[in-house]
Amino acid sequence: MQIDKHILSAFDRDLEGVQALVMKMGGLVESAMLDAAQALDTIDTELAQRVWAGDRAIDALEEQIHNECARLLALRSPAASDLRTVLTVMRIATNLERCGDYAKNLAKRVPVLGDLPSLPGAVGSIRRMTRAVVLLLKDALDAYIARDVAIASDVRQRDQDVDQMYNAIFRELLTHMLEDMRNITPCMHLHFIAKNIERVGDHATGIAEQVIYLVTGAMPDEDRPKGTSLSALTGNPTE
Amino acid sequence: MNVMQIAERATATATAKMTARGVQVHYGENHALKDVDVDILAGTVTAFIGPSGCGKSTFLRCLNRMNDTVASARVTGEIRLDGEDIYDRRVDPVTLRARVGMVFQKPNPFPKSIYENVAYGPRIHGLTRNRAELDQVVETSLRKAALWNEVKDRLQAPGTGLSGGQQQRLCIARAIATAPEVLLMDEPCSALDPIATAQVEELIDELHTQFSVVIVTHSMQQAARVSQRTAFFHLGHLVEYGETGQIFTNPRDPRTESYITGRIG
Repeated sequence: MQIDKHILSAFDRDLEGVQALVMKMGGLVESAMLDAAQALDTIDTELAQRVWAGDRAIDALEEQIHNECARLLALRSPAASDLRTVLTVMRIATNLERCGDYAKNLAKRVPVLGDLPSLPGAVGSIRRMTRAVVLLLKDALDAYIARDVAIASDVRQRDQDVDQMYNAIFRELLTHMLEDMRNITPCMHLHFIAKNIERVGDHATGIAEQVIYLVTGAMPDEDRPKGTSLSALTGNPTE
Repeated sequence: MNVMQIAERATATATAKMTARGVQVHYGENHALKDVDVDILAGTVTAFIGPSGCGKSTFLRCLNRMNDTVASARVTGEIRLDGEDIYDRRVDPVTLRARVGMVFQKPNPFPKSIYENVAYGPRIHGLTRNRAELDQVVETSLRKAALWNEVKDRLQAPGTGLSGGQQQRLCIARAIATAPEVLLMDEPCSALDPIATAQVEELIDELHTQFSVVIVTHSMQQAARVSQRTAFFHLGHLVEYGETGQIFTNPRDPRTESYITGRIG
């Protein structure tokens, strides 16, 4: 990667500036995810409320990043790796904004679930899945800062673990619903939550792909491994 | 590699108009150009970029034997135009320069009328048989250079009385009046304001369907705007030569990367 500096040092400051904003955004999204899962675990509506309100800061950062990038493109005419830096910053900001929305959506369901029959097993699985996904997100962002293709490739591989966790939760929820119809409403909420967390994993993979594009100039072309096959979701566990 | 497919400009089908192989240039003791191989494609704008003293103008001047006029210059290697060695003893450099025209950095109209500036080339090369034909060539050239509407009512006025941008377009009209096959441009816009620059760039874009254009420029943005192929020169070497979109999004050589991103090369 390019470690030497631009002749025009203000250009370096601008590029470092937008990348710092993305990292700040990443930190906010990671905390929002973990806090939302924590709020779900303990039915902490106050914490859920804070996550919900906190999404506004994430959205504002995304807008700021897009504005800064537009200025950078207009004023600095970045080329080659500088251009790829700006393009990837914009795409990663969009990925992170979506993740923030998923955390917010999770938080919105917490008070609803508080009034419904509790399912501690499934909630525990969701919490473990959230931790795995946040780790993926963190690694993807670390790979970005370090321009590390190896870590980015590893993130792409590990997303299938998240997919498998999602499949397991899906089956678990299905079992609860078959056992007792009163579980259907909480299980549907928990399923949306699990699906959203699984989507965050996909966004982490998207960020990892941006890292590969940033470093190599080309998107990885082989299909990444997927743990979700439709047959895993038929509701008829064969094992 | 699936980079910038949409922006990729069609050059794949173009054939080579000029080919350079193992070109070396010495100015006395100074080894200015080292072993350059390039194909200049037909119907294509090729940009030469690189820091000052990298050899890009030197190489441009090899393409129509302008270096013949420099006493200390020694050119070796092979340059062919349509397969014909332009350094062959039987080639008349004056005829060659009618086929491979040149536009310089500073507009340099002859101290003659607008009409005479354009008519000069066709007249000395005997390209027209009578006044009517010559009038036609002058008009066509001035139209192609997007200058006709501005000067048609004052063709007998001195060329030096035009604005800088108009003078440069007059020089382009003069260069294309001899119906060249290749047009060499050595920083044609560096003395022009942004509007005149845009007009010259538009002109280059229109002209390249009729002949090959090779442009030396210090403005990387200009190279990116007008060319389909870009060659990066550094310290007398041709470092990288490729499709312009690829050079500006994903150059393969770290020296190209450093130069086009504005880092110390």
